[in-house]
Amino acid sequence: MKKILLVDDDHAIQLLYQEEFQDEGYSVSSAFNGDEALKIFNADQPDLVILDIQMPGLNGIEVLRQMKMINSTVPIILSSAYHEYKQNLGAWASDEYVVKSSDLTELKNTVRRLLG
Amino acid sequence: MPELRKDPVLGRWIIISKERQKRPTDFIIDEPKVLGGFCPLCAGNESSTPSEVLAFRSNPEAAANSSDWQVRVVPNKYPALIIEGELNKEGEGLYDRMNGIGAHEVIVETPGHEDLFWELPVDHVSLVFRSFRDRLKDLEQDSRFRYVMIFKNYGKAAGASLEHSHSQLIALPVLPRMIVSELEGAKSYYRYKDRCIFCDIIRQEIQQDVRVVCQNDLFITIAPFAPRTPFEMWVLPKEHASGFCSLDDQKLTSLSQLFSETLRRLNRCIPNVPYNFVLHTQPLRSGEIDYFHWHFEIVPKLTSIAGFEWGSGFYINPLPPEEAAQYLRESLDN
Repeated sequence: MKKILLVDDDHAIQLLYQEEFQDEGYSVSSAFNGDEALKIFNADQPDLVILDIQMPGLNGIEVLRQMKMINSTVPIILSSAYHEYKQNLGAWASDEYVVKSSDLTELKNTVRRLLG
Repeated sequence: MPELRKDPVLGRWIIISKERQKRPTDFIIDEPKVLGGFCPLCAGNESSTPSEVLAFRSNPEAAANSSDWQVRVVPNKYPALIIEGELNKEGEGLYDRMNGIGAHEVIVETPGHEDLFWELPVDHVSLVFRSFRDRLKDLEQDSRFRYVMIFKNYGKAAGASLEHSHSQLIALPVLPRMIVSELEGAKSYYRYKDRCIFCDIIRQEIQQDVRVVCQNDLFITIAPFAPRTPFEMWVLPKEHASGFCSLDDQKLTSLSQLFSETLRRLNRCIPNVPYNFVLHTQPLRSGEIDYFHWHFEIVPKLTSIAGFEWGSGFYINPLPPEEAAQYLRESLDN
């Protein structure tokens, strides 16, 4: 079973995504901030990361750059409610950038594509 | 007493606030934070960027997107405007709109993550300017575009989102308002005097020699008469030319020498100062224009834009350009 690490400080988003991606047949682990995410990334070696940007402490782009330094082969999807972080060149380290929506079709399709 | 000064090209007023006058050491700049971690612009990480549209390599036979480049231009991975498609201009009553068509590219100025632009060898800076010129020439072939804006943000306060040295290019289907105003101001002067206003500025600045920062045979750096911020500088060719594309490789080298020296002087006055530079050049496919003169504007980020500035278009500058020029001239003496 492919493992997804979901990083988001919003509990409602965590619950929604966990349910949806478990239904898709993935194992989902959760982190609520950047430091926690980096610990799980190192310990669990997920197959894919869905990463929020606006979080307390380390922001998603800082976490992304640390994760890619540790293992650049793990696909990472930046997922934000805002378009404007696309202008941050640090976001280029991500494999995809998906703007959050209540309709998870685009996010699910992106996960499927990146996990082959 | 404060002084109001008018920019002769734009007609924009600024306030030189002598009561708030500052010296270079009064500006406190934080040490730039070099973030660790993966950098998508570093050599070796080419797969994190879209395929290059231009690159300079010491071995011209090397494969595209290989890691031995010196300067590399790539499309923005998450662009503000999209290259594919038609403009489809339309009106909605009195409002105009069109599709967001444009080119958004990043010029990666060096393969090294911690290299600073003003410390690069002149030959290398020349390659950066060559990439500006070559991309301008290429994008000029696309009839959808009317203007190419090339700019650099250095430092977080100036809008840089990544510390790896880079500049950006955005090709637009319309003329930016600032360029329209500059063209109109310059044209108005030309109609009246039959001379390019920028050529006249250069002539007067050389004659008065109070706002000249540095110069060589072909280029000059001045602190403009009505600067928006402390240490604002313009770099201009001494000989009239309206378009940056007119520069041959020899002139690019001369420009690079003066431009690097200009930035070194600025950095010596205020170490690590955040700044923007913007290339002001003629619109695409406009031919040589008698009344317009291409130039760079270098604007350090030392003052904040607040309600008065937004509302009036005025800027308040606590350092007269004559004194800024003197500090800059003396900066490399020690």
